[in-house]
Amino acid sequence: MRQFLIDAIIVFNDFVLVYFLSLNTIYFLLFLVSLVEVLKFIKRTFFSDYQQILQSDMTWPISILVPAHNEEKNIVETVRSLQLVNYSEFEIIVINDDSTDRTLRNLVDAFDLRRLDKVYKRSIPTRPVRGIYGSLTHQNLTVIDKERGGKSDALNTGINMARFPLFCSVDADSIIEDNALLRVVKPFMEHPAEMVAVGGIVRIANGCEVHEGRVSKIHLPPRALPILQVVEYLRAFLTGRIGWSVMRSLLIISGAFGLYKKSEVIEVGGYDSESDTEDLELVVRLHENCRRKKMKYRIVFVPDPVCWTEVPNTFQILRRQRNRWHRGLLQSLWRHRRMLLNPRYGVIGLVAFPYFVIFEMLGPFIELTGYISVPLAWYLGILNLQFFILFFALAVLYGVFLSVAAVLLEEISFRRYPGWLDLARLMVYAVLENFGYRQILSAFKVKAFYDFVRRRRGWGEMKRRGFGKRSPA
Amino acid sequence: MPTMPWWSQEVGPMYEFVIALLVGVSAFFLLLVGIIIISKGWREIVEARLRLRRAELEPGFFKYAVGKEALEKYLPRPIHRSERVLVERIFFEMGRVVKGSVRERARDAFEKLGFVDHYLANLESRRWWTRAEAAEKLGLMGSEKATRSLIDHMNDPVPEVRVRVARALGNIRTSEALRPLTLALKDPGRWSAIRVAGILIGAGDESVEILLQEFDHFPQHAKISAIDIFGRIRSLKAISLLRDLLKHQDADIRARAAFALGSIGDPTSASHLGDALKDPAWFVRAMAAKALGRLKEEGSIEALCTSLADPQWWVRANAAEALKNKGERGMSALLAMLDSKDTYAAQQAVQMLQESGVLDSMIARLASEEGRERQLALDVMAKLVKLKRTDLLTEIAHNHPEGSIRQRLAIILGLRVQPHPTA
Repeated sequence: MRQFLIDAIIVFNDFVLVYFLSLNTIYFLLFLVSLVEVLKFIKRTFFSDYQQILQSDMTWPISILVPAHNEEKNIVETVRSLQLVNYSEFEIIVINDDSTDRTLRNLVDAFDLRRLDKVYKRSIPTRPVRGIYGSLTHQNLTVIDKERGGKSDALNTGINMARFPLFCSVDADSIIEDNALLRVVKPFMEHPAEMVAVGGIVRIANGCEVHEGRVSKIHLPPRALPILQVVEYLRAFLTGRIGWSVMRSLLIISGAFGLYKKSEVIEVGGYDSESDTEDLELVVRLHENCRRKKMKYRIVFVPDPVCWTEVPNTFQILRRQRNRWHRGLLQSLWRHRRMLLNPRYGVIGLVAFPYFVIFEMLGPFIELTGYISVPLAWYLGILNLQFFILFFALAVLYGVFLSVAAVLLEEISFRRYPGWLDLARLMVYAVLENFGYRQILSAFKVKAFYDFVRRRRGWGEMKRRGFGKRSPA
Repeated sequence: MPTMPWWSQEVGPMYEFVIALLVGVSAFFLLLVGIIIISKGWREIVEARLRLRRAELEPGFFKYAVGKEALEKYLPRPIHRSERVLVERIFFEMGRVVKGSVRERARDAFEKLGFVDHYLANLESRRWWTRAEAAEKLGLMGSEKATRSLIDHMNDPVPEVRVRVARALGNIRTSEALRPLTLALKDPGRWSAIRVAGILIGAGDESVEILLQEFDHFPQHAKISAIDIFGRIRSLKAISLLRDLLKHQDADIRARAAFALGSIGDPTSASHLGDALKDPAWFVRAMAAKALGRLKEEGSIEALCTSLADPQWWVRANAAEALKNKGERGMSALLAMLDSKDTYAAQQAVQMLQESGVLDSMIARLASEEGRERQLALDVMAKLVKLKRTDLLTEIAHNHPEGSIRQRLAIILGLRVQPHPTA
């Protein structure tokens, strides 16, 4: 038994080293690709005539869809912020998914809404609509009250009601910046025939000052947990998504803010109500459908259009959120397993899917097994403490390097956190996240895997504090 | 004793490899931190310096702009080469708010300070972004000295440079530039087209003449851009061509032509657009309905009522919207459509009557003392009940401030009469 354990640990450690080197090589390459892309992006931004998109008749109008379930604290502020968006022609459709709080009442009171008998096309089957509300004073605002069907069902109802060829999904607890629509629509203007979906960057509003539906002053959150998520989001968006987007294998467009061609989404049947991460599932299906049709298409990420959102400020809520995210990823990987290593799906099947299976799905298990194998190796007398410390230092340093690289990308491009103090705090938390936070996230993912196998589903409650003058940490 | 694996030996190739990696990553890490700190610090120093110099030089520029002497007379010291960005920024900002002679004075200053020559040289750069920036700046400077070089660069291999050049020529506003500009519409990107179109629209009727001459030689996408420009300029000269284009073999062109005719707003196009309501392509019919809604005439009301029963939802929606825009007669037509045997048409009419507030005025008539008015309102309500489009009525039956209206609506809807919530 002892010999078996020793052999197993030896094999496992060999595997870990190869795994570690492969993963970090991929991350490093993604960073390099993102760096080049960000530099190009800065150059392109100089040549961006957003004002002309705003004034042109040739710009496509957009339907903004806001699914809401028990969002009484933020919903009015969110709609107000959307009404101020800098864009020539758009409509806002809020879909109240059977809220039990005052979400609908607050909207009716704030925007002088009343029930209308609107006619719309049911392109995607959804749960029944109880009522449609409109206003004589806010003509571009429609509120749909419907039976509970989840976020996907709410979005599908919004798609059915949408009048325009592009729709933008925005979370009810999010605020999009003035020019976000102009920026996110630009790829559609550049490649109208090929563009299918565009994602924007999601930033963390905790700690920021919000005034009249706008983020008026940007600060890092005062508390540790949201700051750790700031570092994580910077890394995920600025190195991860940019890199995947350049390689034409972007699998995730954040549900908080994405722009889609309506006809393509209707063609794949809209959002999937069976998925826990409807955003990821939709993008995967869009890829699959476009590849199957052998059409030339693009699904891209643009790092400039910004959407601000509240992130969990307790570990309990974070656990629920990450559990759902990881479960959703596993569901999509499992559901579309035929794409894995299938040359028919090009770079998606041959690169993106294997990456997500090997590193995102199995990664947490390997990491946690690694932590268990260390005391075991020590117990069996085969642990070289010096080497272990060196290897651990390398792993931590690499993690820190990647996070600091994301901070660098932020600093040379968008500079949303202008103060020296904010910068210093970001760097400190880039180091700290490797001691505890990362491990906890891995544990959440392992639990999510277990829940996936047990077919547990659901969103869990995400408590919001709401955007106050200064959004809470 | 088991054989020791590589990772448990004191010294070995893997051990050295990990150390080498550690050193490499540490070096990279320090490099990144250094770059972040230096770039942030450097940027702040440069910005602070520019702020100081701006405070020192700006009053002189303003005096120059409104004065008559040469620039040197107004400045406390000669301008250093490194201050080009600052000088440009001040003049461009001034140009945005003040027109006329101030722009001319700024242009003279750019020429005398050698900025125009500098960017003309940059226009020949190997780097596309340098050429694009040069074109942009030359356009903002407005120097006619640059016209010839800019026209030559209309054939630049990079689309972004071509668009910048086109824009610069548009800013300089020489008629010489208009023909090359119209040719820039041939660039396939919609993004380029939007920007070039913006410039041509600014040039007005002069560009319409050239576009009409070139139209037949354009590829399909350029034709569509040109049609949009005719619509935006609201050019009467293009009406005849646009009417002909309603019969073009390409459905996209027919649809855009219909839309442009609506934008121009010439009521005599109504009969042509009425014909387009029967087009086999649904989006042409939808655009024709939308366009008819923009014309100040009433002859098309009947055709629009027919379109309310179109098999395509978009056509019905646009036709209803168009009827709403037709004023009183359009509203009467919508009211008449409540009797339509086609449920779709009737439902679309209900929606428009609600959105336009007509239904509210009908509801108010329920309390009218004049019998005929009241009866008319009652008839409309009965039709809504028959169509099962009673969401708004039900809400008003509960919330209307007037008790008599609440009561009448409750009777029509078969509801129990409720007291007003605020009562």
